[in-house]
Amino acid sequence: MLRAASRTRHALAAAAASLLLAGCATVEAGAPAAPGVPTTGAARDALLKAAEHRLVADCLSARGAAPTARPRAPDEDRAFRAALFGAGPRELSVTLATGATVTAHTDGCLAAARHRLYGDQRRWFRAQVTVDNLRAEAQHRMRAAPAHRTALARWTACVAPPGRPRPDRPDPAAAARCARETGLDTVRARLESAELAAVRALHHDELTAYRQLRDRALLRAAELPAPTRPPHPQKGHTLP
Amino acid sequence: MKHILATAAATLLAVTTGLALAPSAGAAECPSGNFCVWQEAGFGGQRANWSGDDGWWESWISDTDSSWANHGISGPGIKDHVRVYENAWQGGGMTLCLAPGQEVGYNGAANDRGDSHIWATGC
Repeated sequence: MLRAASRTRHALAAAAASLLLAGCATVEAGAPAAPGVPTTGAARDALLKAAEHRLVADCLSARGAAPTARPRAPDEDRAFRAALFGAGPRELSVTLATGATVTAHTDGCLAAARHRLYGDQRRWFRAQVTVDNLRAEAQHRMRAAPAHRTALARWTACVAPPGRPRPDRPDPAAAARCARETGLDTVRARLESAELAAVRALHHDELTAYRQLRDRALLRAAELPAPTRPPHPQKGHTLP
Repeated sequence: MKHILATAAATLLAVTTGLALAPSAGAAECPSGNFCVWQEAGFGGQRANWSGDDGWWESWISDTDSSWANHGISGPGIKDHVRVYENAWQGGGMTLCLAPGQEVGYNGAANDRGDSHIWATGC
């Protein structure tokens, strides 16, 4: 359980900065650091995550859905999910160029925390989903390129030569060797880089919104009082 | 579509048409802390769910995935995003990346394409 405490915003920022988190590799840090806001992208990611976690935990406690380490019964977990993720209409919706329509609820603690941090829940959802899937969109475009189709056909002939039984899955070593020998690796690296640049240009507005909303959220996160216990990096999917 | 050539053919098709589902009520039935995949669109049919990574989905769900939900729980240092890949062992390209609480009822490009996934701190 996280409780409000009197530690300074610098304590939270320092704790967050100590976490070595891999952030969004496609977007660099935005505006120059304000007081209490770390300078590196990883530390900024950590600060935002710690702040969101804090707000979610407070919200869940207020709704009587405090997280627990013990397994929940199905009905109990359903109630917990409704409090955390929401259970009403999927009011947040973005259709990506890949064809995916990504949705989320607006009535859960997660949405409430993001609304408080980012200020504009719908704008943030659109920006986040778009930026998170820039690489998927670039690879989607890459797969349609004639050069990739040709290289993929060579790779397929390499891992499954005509006249031999087709493997259900290619041997990982053979797949890697064929990717090198047929030039698929090279083609992918070249095309993906070019397509990533293209989709970043296409989504300039979303990228700008992403940076702006993150910069404002960082200021809000830095103003939050720190928890009594500093967060510890861990694996798994339970709230500490 | 279980054979490698079928997977390759699916790659070539790169279908772009998507069925945009209207906003609907109710959360997808996916346990907290899990990434869930359904065989049918709209979170229907048989469901697979994982709290960890899987580099090679079981045969009944690989290349038969049609809807997805990330019910991972966020927290400092926790890998809470899910990256879905079209080939085993995170190969062949990422078809989807979902943050916690995000769901996809259908995706023409990723439909029947997933073979593996990993949890990550971001996309």
